[in-house]
Amino acid sequence: MKKLLVFIVTVATAFSCIKAQSVVKELQADVNRAAGMFYALPIGKMPKDTPPPAGKKPFYINHYGCPGSYYLDKKEYYDETFATLTKADSLGKLTKLGKDVLRRIQLLYQDAHNREGELTQVGARQSRDMVKQLIERYPDMFTTDGYYSVRSIVENRSIMTMQEGLLQLSAMRQPIVIRSKASMQELKFMDPTDDLLTSQRLDSVTRIHYNRFVSLNSSDNRLMQSLFNDPYYVVSNIDAAKLSLQLFILAGNVQHANIDKKITLWNIFTPEEIHQHWRKQNAWHYINYGGCTLNGGYQAYLQRTVLRNMIHMGDSVVKRVNPLMHLRYTREHVIMSLACIMELDNCGLHTDNLDSLEAYGWANYRIAPLGGSIAMIHYRTNPSDTDVLVKVLLNGQEARLPIKSDCAPYYHWNDVKRYYLRKLYRYENRRFNFKKK
Amino acid sequence: MNIKLRYILSAVLLTGSCQWLTVSAQSVIDLIKKHPAYASCNYDIYPDSITAKLTPAPAGKKPFYISHYGRHGSRYISNRSGYDTPYYMMQHADSLEELTPTGEQVMRHMNSIMHDTEGRWGELTGYGKKQMQDIGRRMVQNFPEVLHPGAHVTCISTIVPRCIESMGSAAMEMLQACPQLKITMQASKRTQWYMNYQDRQLRRNYMTPEAQKAFDAYTATRMGNSRLMELVFKNPDIVKEFVNEEDFSYYLMKMGLFQLNTNYNRNTNLIGLFNTNDLYRMWQVDNVYWYIQHGACKLNGGNQPYSQRYLLKQIIADADSCLKLADPGAQLRFGHETVLLPLICLIGVNGYDLATDNLDDLEARGWWCSSAFPMAGNLQFIFYRSNPKDKDVLIKVLLNEEEATLPIATDCAPYYHWADFRQYCLNKLAGYKK
Repeated sequence: MKKLLVFIVTVATAFSCIKAQSVVKELQADVNRAAGMFYALPIGKMPKDTPPPAGKKPFYINHYGCPGSYYLDKKEYYDETFATLTKADSLGKLTKLGKDVLRRIQLLYQDAHNREGELTQVGARQSRDMVKQLIERYPDMFTTDGYYSVRSIVENRSIMTMQEGLLQLSAMRQPIVIRSKASMQELKFMDPTDDLLTSQRLDSVTRIHYNRFVSLNSSDNRLMQSLFNDPYYVVSNIDAAKLSLQLFILAGNVQHANIDKKITLWNIFTPEEIHQHWRKQNAWHYINYGGCTLNGGYQAYLQRTVLRNMIHMGDSVVKRVNPLMHLRYTREHVIMSLACIMELDNCGLHTDNLDSLEAYGWANYRIAPLGGSIAMIHYRTNPSDTDVLVKVLLNGQEARLPIKSDCAPYYHWNDVKRYYLRKLYRYENRRFNFKKK
Repeated sequence: MNIKLRYILSAVLLTGSCQWLTVSAQSVIDLIKKHPAYASCNYDIYPDSITAKLTPAPAGKKPFYISHYGRHGSRYISNRSGYDTPYYMMQHADSLEELTPTGEQVMRHMNSIMHDTEGRWGELTGYGKKQMQDIGRRMVQNFPEVLHPGAHVTCISTIVPRCIESMGSAAMEMLQACPQLKITMQASKRTQWYMNYQDRQLRRNYMTPEAQKAFDAYTATRMGNSRLMELVFKNPDIVKEFVNEEDFSYYLMKMGLFQLNTNYNRNTNLIGLFNTNDLYRMWQVDNVYWYIQHGACKLNGGNQPYSQRYLLKQIIADADSCLKLADPGAQLRFGHETVLLPLICLIGVNGYDLATDNLDDLEARGWWCSSAFPMAGNLQFIFYRSNPKDKDVLIKVLLNEEEATLPIATDCAPYYHWADFRQYCLNKLAGYKK
């Protein structure tokens, strides 16, 4: 099975080689993408919808979403970086650029102070724009007789993202029935945990591969030389790799801060350095949330209950007459793994070669940026229509499913359901009947 | 027996000493008879509809700004310890087959309640969301001059999820009533210093020896429930080894009443175990406790309400800057009862600034905490003027959406002159010494 997958992947490579350049191009077009899962997805212009087959109309939106842009949870990124540079400055070890970087870090530090993990204004905007676009894109879905149920994990930024979206919905449709909920009771299908999979995530083989990948993709000397005027001070006092990563993370965070457009940190890195840092982050996310075969290739299955819930809900609304929507706001990595387990576009990639991710088009910012989402839209002609079609939007764009269809990007619900349920059963059989075999 | 005797004795003494006291005591009982939830103080439920009429503003004056601090709506109990207390006692008794048939039934209800609440500790209930929606909608309906299309509404919440959801529920419904409102929401650690300030110094020292002595004396005649013990346990004398009668009765009563806060009032059967007098006595004990904790109780120096000095200063500062604007809109703040109650006491809304060392006074003089801070309880300052140049700004205070009094003189009650009120607050705050 594994060999087959590797084979498929190799064949796929040939086709997706064209994509190889595109990460570089995409980073050039918007360097903020280098922030990966911390890229604040601009909702932007409404994507074009492929017209559905004749007579089919949307009746159900089944959605899982990331929180909007937020301040980093770990204030160490701000504090420690600020402290490191301040100390060097007090000893006269900073270059002119180093001093200016310190000034910029101070601005970031002040902006983020006492806001750890908080939804930013950008995030609030994103959430409202997402809902606005959804309503404008599928206006018939939002009627007074519809039912709109919105859920969030019990995490303030997600709850705030949910509430902001609800305000938009409420402002655009009156009267409307909306139910919201943020409960620890629903962790099972909102943000599940799996100790076994988590424990397998970073086994020794994976770690060795990742460390090697990191060392091959690190060159922090130029940056250190540009910031500090004394190489001996750097050698004896600075953890170059750590500081470089911290600066990179902060560079990706300027887009969320209230001081965006006034400063940038990207320009202290060369485009190659940015690309390198991104590759390391991307590989890390792939190992943790994707189908990386180094650690078994099953990490994305951590979100199997989420997928199962999605299928379950899709199945239970088939007979519903009025439009229905479920929005669920959870963590970015849930969305990432969900996209991987659903094999949307290139997300289902299985490989042990961390160097090849880019070539296969597996890029974290395309999958689960902040403000990102996966929405399955269900279509039918009328409530008695048994041939329900679905279309999946990954971050608003029509996505490709790993399933045959005569009307892609629309897929027959029964095929979709069968494919995913079989996939889940295969995994669960393998895992829970392991001893029998 | 001894306790009973003391209880009767004190009751006789009370009724004998002053007649008016009994009259007022009666009315709390009446309230509890009508709404058992009233007995559970901070778990009391916000009214479904507001019947009180609002007095029209003096000629020419129009509302132009609303400043608000509100408590989150009905929630599940914050943590399980309150439920565990009676539950463990019951389980212990059950394991020894000490439960009567009624006791076994009680156990079943407790199981169902625990099951329903599991994983929801502190969560806003559907009922709570509805309360917040109603409050938001009525605000828009009552003050369309402030909340008109295009008006700005700034919502701030503490960083506790149920408060954020309460804020969202109110804001969402305000948009249903007026879709063009410009609403912003924020829940940040940055505002915690006034939104949810818990003064450690004050909190640590509220139970002074004098207060403890008075509290013990007050509660001695009011705790305990031997009738309940007889009802639930086969041999009350035997189970007393591990069932503390006072705790058991108190927490079981709370558990029953709490269910009134859940959607569809799930399983309220436990309330039937208690008669009005049981509920009333628990209310008395709780009311006194809340007073010592947050009221201007002379037994501990009377400074507890000052825990909310930063909030009051912020409300004044916000108003100062908003008054300069032509169309300031509304500022809504969403927080907790442990902030709302001391704030009400600090300002002296409806006489809640009552300062006394006699705990029996509270009930007689109307210091009833349930009326101040039920779930979704709120304090609204409505500002009036004839035009942006009008220097004589008036305010009206709504406590739980009913017109309230302030401890200052006025020539146009229930309206007060903002300048007078502002000065009164600043003087009071200036007088506070840590």
